[in-house]
Amino acid sequence: MHLARLRLRDFRNYLRLDAEFVPGFHVLLGDNAQGKTNILEAIYLLATLRSFRGVGGTQMIRHDAKGYFVGATVVGAAPAEIKAYWSPRERKLSLNGNPVKRLADYLGTLRAVVFCTEDLQLVKGTSRVRRRFLDLLLSQTQPGYLTLLLRYTQALRNRNALLKQPQPDAEQLASFTAQLVSLGEQLMAARRTFTPKLSPLVRLAFRRIAADADELILEYQPSVAGDFAVALANSRARERVLKTTVIGPHRDELGMLVNGQPAGQFTSEGQKRTLALALKMAQAEYLTGIHGAPPVLLIDDVMGELDARRRAGLLPLLNQARRAGGQVFMTCTAENWPAELGREFVRWQVQGGTLAAV
Amino acid sequence: MTSLPEPVAHLVAALGRLPGIGPRSAERLALHLVQADPGQVRQLAESLVSARERVTHCERCGALTETQPCAVCGDDRRDAALLCVVERPLDILSLEKSGTFRGRYHSLGGKLSPLNGVGPEDLRIAELERRVPSESVKEVILALSSDVEGDATGHYLAKRLAAFGVRVSRIAQGLPAGSGLEFADELTLSRALEGRRELS
Ligand SMILES: Nc1ncnc2c1ncn2[C@@H]1O[C@H](COP(=O)(O)OP(=O)(O)OP(=O)(O)O)[C@@H](O)[C@H]1O
Ligand SMILES: [Mg+2]
Ligand SMILES: [Zn+2]
Repeated sequence: MHLARLRLRDFRNYLRLDAEFVPGFHVLLGDNAQGKTNILEAIYLLATLRSFRGVGGTQMIRHDAKGYFVGATVVGAAPAEIKAYWSPRERKLSLNGNPVKRLADYLGTLRAVVFCTEDLQLVKGTSRVRRRFLDLLLSQTQPGYLTLLLRYTQALRNRNALLKQPQPDAEQLASFTAQLVSLGEQLMAARRTFTPKLSPLVRLAFRRIAADADELILEYQPSVAGDFAVALANSRARERVLKTTVIGPHRDELGMLVNGQPAGQFTSEGQKRTLALALKMAQAEYLTGIHGAPPVLLIDDVMGELDARRRAGLLPLLNQARRAGGQVFMTCTAENWPAELGREFVRWQVQGGTLAAV
Repeated sequence: MTSLPEPVAHLVAALGRLPGIGPRSAERLALHLVQADPGQVRQLAESLVSARERVTHCERCGALTETQPCAVCGDDRRDAALLCVVERPLDILSLEKSGTFRGRYHSLGGKLSPLNGVGPEDLRIAELERRVPSESVKEVILALSSDVEGDATGHYLAKRLAAFGVRVSRIAQGLPAGSGLEFADELTLSRALEGRRELS
């Protein structure tokens, strides 16, 4: 799968952009604040309909413009023409000229994995960040998982609303508890079977990038030990005090152990970066295995933060993705240009909201 | 910029309070109406008032009706032993269109939803509990939406109805997840009614 054509109108600092991309490795070179990340953001937007910067649509509209347009031609199993227009008043999304009615019909048209400095939160941040990572990957690869997750969340929100009432009705609580338990058990089962499939991929990527003997283990650490229904019943006293559901898949953790120690607490800054990269590489590899084609890799600013040894370890992984018929987009400035890059890449210059082949 | 004449502004405001009508559509409709044939507009106004005045909820089942009780409740050929519980009066219409159900109906007027502040006392559950013994109902079929709230409501009703010794079954499977009954086509509904399973 690759992005053959990208068109931007009034997107961030791009008034107008029309670019064509071959499969392979693309380097977007430019000074700070010129619009390198904005291009990756637009590509990611086509893949997920969200910004990886975690902002809403308004912020992506070029200042003083009414709305943005992002269009693309994707070459994959079937070629796809995507057109997305967004303004506070109007949203339009079409695939091959037809308006998209259900998100499920659209998602998967373009698959992308982004690597950015915020990924460090996967290691340093709270368990919420890691659950999100797990949920996103499961939603992209297991039919029905997203529905399950949404239903669980709905059951949880309803149950928490009940627990906030002065005198929750016992029968009503039991009814929502039954929903929570049945959905929660299914969520936990999906996460439990999935983690061991991902773990070896992360472990391998970690060893390749770190190029040393550090041992990494990924493990699913459910918040519920044993039977969910029984554990919930046992937590009633705490629920009464805290007025919220204190155990369940919404409190699960994806544990990461480096040489037997929890990664967040005991690893060096460099190891943390390596681990975050390894998680993303594993995500890309898992997606490749499931869908038979590598996702587009979007790499923003991470090279500059790695030492030479780790950069040398990462590049072969990226090249591997490229050789499999995929595409890699990497941003960098002249200062952090990775010397290890070799020659086989397309070089672009980004300057003040323009993109030009060099 | 001159603003809309006051009567038009009033009309826009009134139309804008209708479900599914945003400020722009409200304005478009209002501007259309004030320029339309007066006879046509009068007719529209009259049908609005007369529809509202003539239609009420059936006191027994909650369906929309002109008579008390409604046609279904008043029809002796319907099987009184079979009672189908739905969320809204609209669901009764969908089920009637499928034409396969021979029993009677009971509309709850919603579903349990603590998030929206809807509890059992806000639904027509007490009425249901009166009907079951007084109409000698043998089987209650729950045709509720297949989302979390619908499922929880089904679970809750099954427990409350257990005291009456009626059979309680559910027809959620086959209906598209997350949507109300009005989205299910007639075929799905008839299939769902055949495939009902008992709630434990
Ligand atoms: N909505 C917007 N409208 C117009 N310009 C915008 C908008 N949002 C961001 N910009 C501009 O885009 C530029 C930043 O682009 P981007 O984040 O892609 O930079 P970059 O090339 O990745 O820089 P760095 O090397 O610092 O990461 C800034 O000049 C910013 O003012
Ligand atoms: Mg940037
Ligand atoms: Zn009636």
